[in-house]
Amino acid sequence: MNNNCYTYSIGCLIMALFLSFSCKHKESKYHSLTDKIEEESKDFIGTDISLETLLEEMKLLEIHEEGHAFLIPERKGQLKSYACSECHTKPLASMTSLEIGKKAHWNVKLAHADNLTMNCITCHSESNLDELTSLTGSEIDFDASYKLCSQCHTAQFKDWTGGAHGKKIAGWAPPRASMTCVNCHNPHSPSFDTRWPSRFNTQMEKERKEGLSH
Amino acid sequence: MSENNTKWFSLNLSNSKPKQQASTCGCGNTSGGCGGHQNEIRSSAIGDERHKDGFEQVFDVQMDRRTAFKKLTASLLIGAGAVTTSCSVVADEKSKEKAQIDWEEQFKGNYKLMSDEEKKATVDRLVRSYELRTNKTISMTSENAQENVLFGYAFNISKCQGYMDCVSACVEENNQDRNSEMQYIRIHEMKDGQGLKFDEADDNYYHEVPAEGHFYLGTQCFHCDNPPCVDVCPVQATWREEDGLVVIDYDWCVGCRYCMAACPYDGRRFNWSKPEVPEDEVNKNQHYLGNRMRKKGVMEKCTFCVQRSRKGQNPACVDACPTGARIFGNLLDPNSTIRWVLENKKVFRLKEDLGTEPKFWYFMD
Ligand code: SF4
Ligand code: SF4
Repeated sequence: MNNNCYTYSIGCLIMALFLSFSCKHKESKYHSLTDKIEEESKDFIGTDISLETLLEEMKLLEIHEEGHAFLIPERKGQLKSYACSECHTKPLASMTSLEIGKKAHWNVKLAHADNLTMNCITCHSESNLDELTSLTGSEIDFDASYKLCSQCHTAQFKDWTGGAHGKKIAGWAPPRASMTCVNCHNPHSPSFDTRWPSRFNTQMEKERKEGLSH
Repeated sequence: MSENNTKWFSLNLSNSKPKQQASTCGCGNTSGGCGGHQNEIRSSAIGDERHKDGFEQVFDVQMDRRTAFKKLTASLLIGAGAVTTSCSVVADEKSKEKAQIDWEEQFKGNYKLMSDEEKKATVDRLVRSYELRTNKTISMTSENAQENVLFGYAFNISKCQGYMDCVSACVEENNQDRNSEMQYIRIHEMKDGQGLKFDEADDNYYHEVPAEGHFYLGTQCFHCDNPPCVDVCPVQATWREEDGLVVIDYDWCVGCRYCMAACPYDGRRFNWSKPEVPEDEVNKNQHYLGNRMRKKGVMEKCTFCVQRSRKGQNPACVDACPTGARIFGNLLDPNSTIRWVLENKKVFRLKEDLGTEPKFWYFMD
């Protein structure tokens, strides 16, 4: 009886030893990758890697939205004919009757929502063309045009400020710089076009025809 | 048993140990019959049953793969060296230097085990060797993983339009073989409403995209945190770096393709022929573990563009995507955008039940 017990406990001991040595992954300290990430980032002190030199040459503005602070490209310098008031000396209403030759902005076709919802003055201020206008008539700077978009596209706005929507500029390391809405979407026609893929793999096609690959 | 069961893949060049193996069970039978011989069969390395050949007779001493190889080649090279020096009248400096570099490259160790100086030395040799061969200069680094960095990736299925700009950018960035049209990334065109059916998806479409009723999902190496490909490599030519990147030492890889078989995600690519890139298209910003030129018969795969990511930049695919479907960042930084995605979007990974812990998540708007 005693002997049996003895063998049993030795067996247990060996088993325990075996188990403790057979764990070869040091990662197994954590139950899962998510646990590991959470645990190891608790005392995150940052890294030595920075994008500052890469972003140096770009004109960026810092914004604070929804508790996130990040950089976006400035806009006004990119607009060919800003300031608009250099041509638009009179309010829009007084220009509608003018019918002389080709109009400026003739190439702008509005393909954004429908007529019921949007026309030019939903976003452009009638009286001051150098500014954009919110739904309630407050002025919005061209550099902060995302504030216009976020009036309707609230879900996208939230994802954008968090970082799930929109593209980051240059890299992952801080400081964070993100494209703003109008860097990817044409505000007058915001959806993406269909087009041909940038490549076709002829080798893959050949191999598959010949049955070399599954 | 434990003695015979050391790494079953060892080449056992000296052939000195086996033979007594037969008596371990004590049944008197040498081959099966008592049921205690199964282990034996499993543990005998390939080649154990052979008689010693000429090579083994000469080197009948305990020796590892490297040393054996070293001795063998050393004698060959001495012979060859004698011939060249006696024949060539002008053994110019350059060819001597080339020979010296080749010699040192031949006998360098596994990158994984190198000190920083050794890493730098091999990188310098490779740069110099490229210069001697092509008269072109490249820049190559051996930047190590940084502390407090763990790279992760997220892919927005509802954003991807199937343009494949990422694939092109990847091929160019990583000097992938143009002949075999190797590509690390695959974009799978899948039918809406049918779930993820990889066997029915098309990853080589050529029509206007996005196609009606389809969505697009990209795959590449997922840099598993518990990578099965690493476990199976018999020579430890592939491993997980501290920042989570799974990398390959192309000079240590013996091309057995075990890792390719072990990867559940079709993440690895093999060079069946000598990879070729037109000289003017070679990306000259290289990393030893990344996009430096490979050779025939070695494995390669996505490295999250180690040559870029360790500098803080995004991988080429992330930069090339016009839709912003690709998000990359530091998983250990609680303020990073990748962390925001993981915490705020409904994310999933492929074959999560395997426990491979890929660091590549998918999500939808
Ligand atoms: S995806 Fe495949 S190749 Fe990449 S780490 Fe995971 S198992 Fe290895
Ligand atoms: S192909 Fe190369 S990296 Fe893959 S398992 Fe074999 S030796 Fe290791």
